Amino acid sequence: MKKAKEVIFHSVMIFLAILWIYPYFWMFLTSFKLPEEMFTRFWPTRLTLEHYNFIFHMSKKLQRPFVRAFLNSVFISTIVTFSVIITAAIIAYPLAKLRIKGRNAVFNFIIFQMLFPGFMFIIPLFVLVKNLGLLNTYRAMILPYLMSAWAVFMMIQSYKSIPKDYIEAAKIDGANVLWIIFKVMVPLARGTVAIVGLFTFNGIWDNFMWPLIVVKDYNKMPLSVLLATFNHEYASYVGPLLAGAVLQTIPMVLIFVIFRKHFLQGISMSFK
Amino acid sequence: MTLRKRESLTGWGITSTYLAYMAVFWGYPFVWMFILAFTKWRFFGSPKFYGFRNFIRVFRDPMFWTVFTNTLTFMMYFLPMVLTGAMIFALAVKRMKYLKTFVTLSFLVAYISSGVAYSIVFMNIFSDVGPINHFLYKHFGITIPWLTSPQLAMLTIALMVTWKFIGYYGLILYSGLQAIPKSLYEAAELDGANNWIKFWKITVPLINPAIVTVLVLSINLSFGIFTEPYMITGGGPMNKTMTFMMYMYETAFQRIRPSYATAFAIVTALINYGLIIVVRKAVEREVSVV
Repeated sequence: MKKAKEVIFHSVMIFLAILWIYPYFWMFLTSFKLPEEMFTRFWPTRLTLEHYNFIFHMSKKLQRPFVRAFLNSVFISTIVTFSVIITAAIIAYPLAKLRIKGRNAVFNFIIFQMLFPGFMFIIPLFVLVKNLGLLNTYRAMILPYLMSAWAVFMMIQSYKSIPKDYIEAAKIDGANVLWIIFKVMVPLARGTVAIVGLFTFNGIWDNFMWPLIVVKDYNKMPLSVLLATFNHEYASYVGPLLAGAVLQTIPMVLIFVIFRKHFLQGISMSFK
Repeated sequence: MTLRKRESLTGWGITSTYLAYMAVFWGYPFVWMFILAFTKWRFFGSPKFYGFRNFIRVFRDPMFWTVFTNTLTFMMYFLPMVLTGAMIFALAVKRMKYLKTFVTLSFLVAYISSGVAYSIVFMNIFSDVGPINHFLYKHFGITIPWLTSPQLAMLTIALMVTWKFIGYYGLILYSGLQAIPKSLYEAAELDGANNWIKFWKITVPLINPAIVTVLVLSINLSFGIFTEPYMITGGGPMNKTMTFMMYMYETAFQRIRPSYATAFAIVTALINYGLIIVVRKAVEREVSVV
């Protein structure tokens, strides 16, 4: 009796789990279906690469360079992610470990920054980027995100738990600040580094409203924006749209699968 | 130079880089936010002082109230669905003995879906000829206008967002559950408590911090929704899915009224804060396990 209950319970959970990945599965499968079978059959009679062919080759003729947009996204997300990690790793060190005047004031300022929801800054940030003459450039999508108050905060919290002895030992060996940060602190805080990196990469890869506002040139658009404009102009091209959605999804899912352990850790941390 | 002095010098050398960067990319926009909100300006010429008139106009704007009602509607669907769903998910995962990782990852993979991509997918899944209506028509002979009916469109968007966030919020609750000592349940069982009593008297009070976190996150999310309506409905049908962010975006960058849109954004943020303070006051409790 009890065993039967367990079996039913687990079957229900597995059914729900499959239901939850169904949209992914549908997206993936449909991107390989013939147009006439997309909405009529679940299992296609045969698979086709025409939609991928479209976004990889033909879309260029329509001035919608999907491959380039994908590379733009990779370029922007990678630069921002590395910059956020490296700057946060360095800046957090004096704020967590050095006795300097005004440390608390800076720390409070960082907390204060995090109080404001991002959407309040969109229009004023647009004014800044416009005044700097950066509209329609990659820099407009990169410069405002190079450092992050949240990332510095996370690194400070993580550094605080590292015993001072490690630093003192390195100092006696004559290590300079950068050596201490990258050879002592960062390796000991690598869990947090991974979390900061993952959330930053996903956040920038999936960032939509900001690049939508600052970039109008199809050659400079990240994939998210190019896909959205393509959706508005060619909504009936369901196949290519889904192939584009697959392309947009793959890096995020891949990174998630590789770093899933840190993801789970990050979620339980973000709540503490 | 003493060691202390050198430490302070390197420390400030590093910290000032951060402050310099933030002066440009945070301080400058921060000041402009107020300049915009209290002036009349359309990206060209010099801003004209406008006092509180932008703010007064926000409350006189019928679209503001439409957007306000829409967001309340969204929260009325979304909060109960996602909170109950996440709670059931957390309890179920805790009970599972096999395939726990598979189930957790399936729900979490929804959370890391890209906003634009999953909007395209759901737009087609919920479309008139999409698989859901296909299924309903085949078995029940009906189709549901998920995204084209003014009454249903917001519910459909709430369903999508719930799909995305149940795993994430569920795990936050789950890590709360993990912290409850087993002995409490055993003691309650000795006193003859059933599952229902145990849930309401032990589980819910003890994971209060996690519940508050989930509530705060989901309220913030409700005020920040943009990609889904932008991609799927464009704010329609009949403005029923127009959200705060959609309206801010359109006002600032399509109707070119950045000062009004900034005042609008500030009012939005204040409502958002106000609601969170109210919810915290109503829900938050001191938790202590004696």
